Amino acid sequence: MEYEKIELSKHEHKPLQVNPIKHSQPMGAALAFMGIKNCMPLMHASQGCASYTKVFYTRHFNEPIAMYNTSVSDITAILDGGDYSILMAIENITKKNSALKPELIGLHTTGLTETKGDDVRSVGVHVEIPYCYVNTPDYEGGMESGWALCVKALIEQHTLKSTQQKANKLLLLPHVSMQPAEVEKIKECCEGFGFETLCLPDLSTSLDGYLSEGQGKLGTGAISIEDIRDLGDCATLITIGTSMKIAAKALLAKNENIKHLHFNHLMGLQMNDNFVASLIEIRQIQPKPLLKRWRGRLQDAMLDSHFLIGSSTFVITGEPDMCVGMCELLQSVGGTINAVISTTYSKVLEDIKAENVFVGDLEDAQVHFKNADMVISNFHAERILHSQEKHTALLLRGFPNYEELGNQLKNDQLYEGSTYFLFEVANKLREVKHHG
Amino acid sequence: MVSRAKIKELMNESACSHSKDKKPGAGCDMPKPGMAAGGCAFDGAQISLFPYADAVHLVHGPQTCLGASWETRETLSSYKGRDHTYMGFTTGITLNDVIFGGDKRLEDSLAYIVKHYAPEAIFVYSTCVTAMVGDDIDMTCKLGAAKFSIPIVPVHAPGFVGGKNLGSRLAGEAVLEHLIGTKEPTLTTPYDINLIGDYNVTGDMWQYLPIFEKIGIRVLSSMSGDGRVGDIRTAHRAKLNVIVCAKSLITLCRKMNEQYDIPWVSVSFYGKRDTTFAIMEIVNALGDEKLIAKAKEIIAAEEAKLEEKLLPYRELFAGKKAVLNTGGNKAWSIASGLQDLGIEVVATSIRKSTEDDIAKAREYLGENGILMKAPASEQSKIIDERGAHILLAGGRSLYTAIKKKISFIDVNQEKKVSYGGYNGLLNLAEDLKHAFANPVFANVSAKAPWEVG
Repeated sequence: MEYEKIELSKHEHKPLQVNPIKHSQPMGAALAFMGIKNCMPLMHASQGCASYTKVFYTRHFNEPIAMYNTSVSDITAILDGGDYSILMAIENITKKNSALKPELIGLHTTGLTETKGDDVRSVGVHVEIPYCYVNTPDYEGGMESGWALCVKALIEQHTLKSTQQKANKLLLLPHVSMQPAEVEKIKECCEGFGFETLCLPDLSTSLDGYLSEGQGKLGTGAISIEDIRDLGDCATLITIGTSMKIAAKALLAKNENIKHLHFNHLMGLQMNDNFVASLIEIRQIQPKPLLKRWRGRLQDAMLDSHFLIGSSTFVITGEPDMCVGMCELLQSVGGTINAVISTTYSKVLEDIKAENVFVGDLEDAQVHFKNADMVISNFHAERILHSQEKHTALLLRGFPNYEELGNQLKNDQLYEGSTYFLFEVANKLREVKHHG
Repeated sequence: MVSRAKIKELMNESACSHSKDKKPGAGCDMPKPGMAAGGCAFDGAQISLFPYADAVHLVHGPQTCLGASWETRETLSSYKGRDHTYMGFTTGITLNDVIFGGDKRLEDSLAYIVKHYAPEAIFVYSTCVTAMVGDDIDMTCKLGAAKFSIPIVPVHAPGFVGGKNLGSRLAGEAVLEHLIGTKEPTLTTPYDINLIGDYNVTGDMWQYLPIFEKIGIRVLSSMSGDGRVGDIRTAHRAKLNVIVCAKSLITLCRKMNEQYDIPWVSVSFYGKRDTTFAIMEIVNALGDEKLIAKAKEIIAAEEAKLEEKLLPYRELFAGKKAVLNTGGNKAWSIASGLQDLGIEVVATSIRKSTEDDIAKAREYLGENGILMKAPASEQSKIIDERGAHILLAGGRSLYTAIKKKISFIDVNQEKKVSYGGYNGLLNLAEDLKHAFANPVFANVSAKAPWEVG
């Protein structure tokens, strides 16, 4: 197949995007705020930005979504410096529904409000509820950076400085592509080592598909603003995903004694061995029997699936931190990565060993689909693959997935999730390879 | 550019019934901070134009505008060429464009699109950021159109000027200014109509178009369901504008009436009565005796066919009562469909309805029907009092149905089949049958073992 090779670069290779896979910074920030207990995510934008974001997550998670906006109009865009629309929005929302008791206002900006240059920081002086602001223009970065910037802002603005440490207190900072079930499993794993484990943001109780009354009004994450205030006394900090390093830096500024461990992802045997080894070293205790059992199951799954995966070629699209984990797991069982098409630039992409690694859209990715036995992408790839003659397997991962139910419970992390991931990949490959 | 004068004019549409009750110049409401939940003007404009499958729709703005909105609507098209409705095009402007302007990027993007996709036309949508930094989109489009010899239409509906409805009106303005009247049709008949405001979601139009064909009504152009840019350019030669279930494009119809002397009728194709009424409105407006006679004949045959197919459902639904909680014209159009199936609609929501919609809802539900102003707090009580068997509402009301152990249909969820026309009623009936028969609502409401006793 002839194609023009695109190099990995921070600069765009064409003037537009055709069939984009990139999602905006404000959308990442909004999702992060949904992972905070009783947080009111407030998008400083015209009403459409929030409406699109709400529909996007509603359809991906099949859940009511807590999402508010300041409804900037053409007049307030010019005359207001942000004070009027932000304060009026908070007043209107809380006045209309007096049962609504937000414990945090999670304000984040958009391209519109950054272009007009609102001083969202100083507005906070007039807000009586705890307030966090994040600058997330959608003409910069992407979903992954928006999520990370939000976590960084929460720590910078709300975590108290500390010199104390609680020996068993651990903070996890997961990247944006982790689904609620994955967050829960990683937390559970750490708790198994006797850690008092907190996660920021914590979607494990927020968009996990749980039937209860009055949903979609405020964030229902498992971490509260009080918890965030007291994060300074953690002994250990674990970042998962390169994008989260900026947030780790913010926490280390609050207490330089915190031990920081970083993992690019938690997929595959090697990375999880490193992860578990670190936990053993800190806590000086043996893993739970079930964790050991899952390691053996993963080893077995690697052997079982290596015939199929080892003879297959993959094209992967998505957020950088998600792509890198999948590449390493598939390559560990002999899979060939033909191309990785990333939403945005990230340094971690430089380390991926593949024929093609670059920032692009589905128009760029489509060129490589013909060389792939399997495409791993969001739901937008489905229609494109349908229009091709060759049968190519499709694994739906990343945002958004409007085609499948149960996205919130998908788990590709740790020994356990990696095992399921390999089986799912191998089974899908068998379907197309054996049935043409 | 979009001007304040134009927005003011669109917000004070004289053909809207509610404008009578407002102070002069008050017009439609501006969004209140924190209170606006729906889509923005850009959203509305895109919805109104996107079904043109032979055109490329280029969004000149930052990432959110298109990144989260492409391939989300089931607007079907029979276009045989490359169907652009399943694709997303955006300039995805970056910081550099905000500072130095995005005109060059837009110009390059137009050239790229023409070279790689050769569309019949390009619609270029301005957005909040590109409108605010003052990109000269009009000029870039004009130069591009001259260079590439295809229509390149600037659509000025940046999100911050208002809601979806206004955006839809602005899209109508763009079409009127740049497309309508720029081409002559190869053939005209005395029975040519323009369909305005049906986007062919899940193929709604295809439920009634075969009936049009049998009668002899010819669709000259569509704005914009299953539409073609080439056809809408000839729309000024139609004899009648038919506006379907949409208030927003009434301005376009009024202006076409003023400019081209084309009358308009406003109709809906939900349910049997509305479909029949709609067809008769159209043929009466066209005013040809033979056509009217033919229509009556076809309607009688279609209704008889439908009645026969509906009989088993009517037996099944006898005595069933429904509460309907949805917005806009659906408040009465779905009610009408339910009544056609023999279901009593005991209450409907009028929270987001216009004056016209409320009057219609009252007409359909009758004296005893309840028009709910605050459905979220009212519906639970009404279900008890009236003994309703099913709740048709948005996903947020699901819990109410489960608590009351009654059936539920999510009417706001993207549906996969059409409820339009005569045959759409059968699809609705089928969905209702499954909802009534499904034990899931009672089953999930069971108490947990640790709550019992």
